[in-house]
Amino acid sequence: MSLVAEAFVTQLAAAEPWPENAALYQQLKEEQILLSDNASSLAVQAFLQMCNLPVRVICRANAEYMSPSGKVPFIHVGNQVVSELGPIVQFVKAKGHSLSDGLDEVQKAEMKAYMELVNNMLLTAELYLQWCDDVTVEEITHPRYGSPYPWPLNRILSYQKQWEVRRKMKAIGWAGKTLEQVLEDVDQCCHALSQRLGTQPYFFNKHPTELDALVFGHLFTILTTQLITDELSEKVKNYSNLTAFCRRIEQQYFEGHDKDSSAIAARSSKRPLLR
Amino acid sequence: MGGWGHIPPRCRDSRRRGDRCLPPSRGERRAVPTERPGRRRRRLRSLRGGGRAGMRCSVVLSPTNIALVPASRRRGLRRWDRPGADPTPRPPGGRRGTEPRAPGGTHRPPGSAGTPRDRARRTYARFTGAPLKVHRVTSPWRSPSGHLPALRTRDEGIISKPQQIITHLRKQKYNADYDLSATQSADTLAFVSLLEEKLLPVLIHTFWVDAKNYVEHTRKWYAETIPFPLNFFLPNAMHKRHLERLQLIWGDDYMEDEEKLEKELYREARECLTLLSQRLGSQKFFFGDSPASLDALVFSRLAPLLKAKLPNGKLQQHLKSLQNLCNYCTSILSLYFPWDGGDPLTGVPRAAGTDGSEAEEDPHKRRKQLLSVLVGLVAMLGYAFLSGIVSIQRGSVGPAGRQPITLEEEEEEEEE
Repeated sequence: MSLVAEAFVTQLAAAEPWPENAALYQQLKEEQILLSDNASSLAVQAFLQMCNLPVRVICRANAEYMSPSGKVPFIHVGNQVVSELGPIVQFVKAKGHSLSDGLDEVQKAEMKAYMELVNNMLLTAELYLQWCDDVTVEEITHPRYGSPYPWPLNRILSYQKQWEVRRKMKAIGWAGKTLEQVLEDVDQCCHALSQRLGTQPYFFNKHPTELDALVFGHLFTILTTQLITDELSEKVKNYSNLTAFCRRIEQQYFEGHDKDSSAIAARSSKRPLLR
Repeated sequence: MGGWGHIPPRCRDSRRRGDRCLPPSRGERRAVPTERPGRRRRRLRSLRGGGRAGMRCSVVLSPTNIALVPASRRRGLRRWDRPGADPTPRPPGGRRGTEPRAPGGTHRPPGSAGTPRDRARRTYARFTGAPLKVHRVTSPWRSPSGHLPALRTRDEGIISKPQQIITHLRKQKYNADYDLSATQSADTLAFVSLLEEKLLPVLIHTFWVDAKNYVEHTRKWYAETIPFPLNFFLPNAMHKRHLERLQLIWGDDYMEDEEKLEKELYREARECLTLLSQRLGSQKFFFGDSPASLDALVFSRLAPLLKAKLPNGKLQQHLKSLQNLCNYCTSILSLYFPWDGGDPLTGVPRAAGTDGSEAEEDPHKRRKQLLSVLVGLVAMLGYAFLSGIVSIQRGSVGPAGRQPITLEEEEEEEEE
């Protein structure tokens, strides 16, 4: 989109209030969605809840292809479609809702940096685990990813996606890592997040920000997803303030919305989200 | 064998102090009879370089780093320096290392000055005062592991991966992050991620993929200092590799959508720079008064961007508008890389201002000229022999050569 068109759209976005029928699209919850996509989707849902903006969650098998950038989740608001947390935050800000207005410049810098840390380490580790670890790929990812489609399309699509993800891993230098090293990185990331959170309720003390939503999305998904082994969730469980943080946000923002959100059921027990 | 052991004490001490070193007097020179004259000349030239250059620190640096070093200082940093002949190197500024000897040698790759990662490592080593011997090589084939950079250690062999090198330094108790609190360490990790995600791809694009910059600046820069025959294909290979990497990260057709590229990606990079500037504020380093690994990384990313003369420098302009980041870079340059100070990248290879630099260039140029003349001669002679124009026969001197002349005479006679 050119600069002028973008400005025009932003103005349009600002002009209209948030509609009642805003929808968030993701893949099928029970059969298809994978760890990383679920984490991203949950992060967006948490963010919108924190802004008090109502949104319906709609599950479609071809959500990935509907999305303008190829990534889930995406929201359909009025006549605009925005995907991924970053652009969604900006879009919501254009509508006049923002969680990070009360932060000063240094805090904003830190918030952005920590969001990049989560994207860089946690999300990449999730992608690695589900697409580069052979056991997980064979037993979980391939069956789930292609489940809505008939054979041989399901196999073709999942191999295509796997090839794409592995190329990307190679480009960023993660292809040579072993699973232990990846788990080590996850541990380092959780350690950093735990240090930053300390004993505060949220990362920037009193009010949640998009960083809290993002961290919640990823950590909650990791904690409540059953994989081949428990190593990933064990790494997160080592940090009690992070688990307490997840519990707190779930209680505050997701308790009343059992149907729509995916943060249902017992907090610490495993849900067979990915089998 | 002649070598540093024979240097009179006066010279060694002044070298340690970093002063310009006078060449030994005539009498002293003659006291070293075993040296070949050529070698002595070279050694004297390197002594004249004085200070750090005479120290013959042997970290393997890139040819571009050689370009960074002002010509007057480049003596002594020659490819054929024998690493074993080094006296105890003085640890650079910052905290002094406790070990008197280097734990190993570091080989840096050609083009590593353009590679921020290697600069980051070198900067980190300087901050911690780790005594390193830096070997400058101009081709990856000369590195012990085949890849550059490479750290050769006494205990653990050869380490090539960037993060492993820093981990190794930390294990040897050269840790720049020792004084950081837990929150600050967490912040370091976060800002490192920010840099890697937002700034580094755009930097790679600016230096290596952006057509104007690549052709007019980067490729020339590397091709000038990498030796024949690598200078023909190594820059192009690096260009392709970087382009491929960016295409994987940003999508295959990112090059085509110029506006999206300019708007989104450069905007994010500019935002990243602004965030760094806000975080730095008016402090000297990111975490107080002494540098940490984050400072090494930020410096290594920003310094080339600041100093290089890029034809297409949008990001550079934005960086220059952030005054505190510029001051930050220049202060680190002057504190920890004093011989690089000022404006090292203003076409130094071309600026043969001093006589010393010309004398410095001469052996290279002479050698190349000589080589090319020799090759030409050998080729001509070989062809002459093979095709029978010239043949050596005992007794008759150049009979074939005489024949054309006699033929001509006959022709003339006939014409007449």
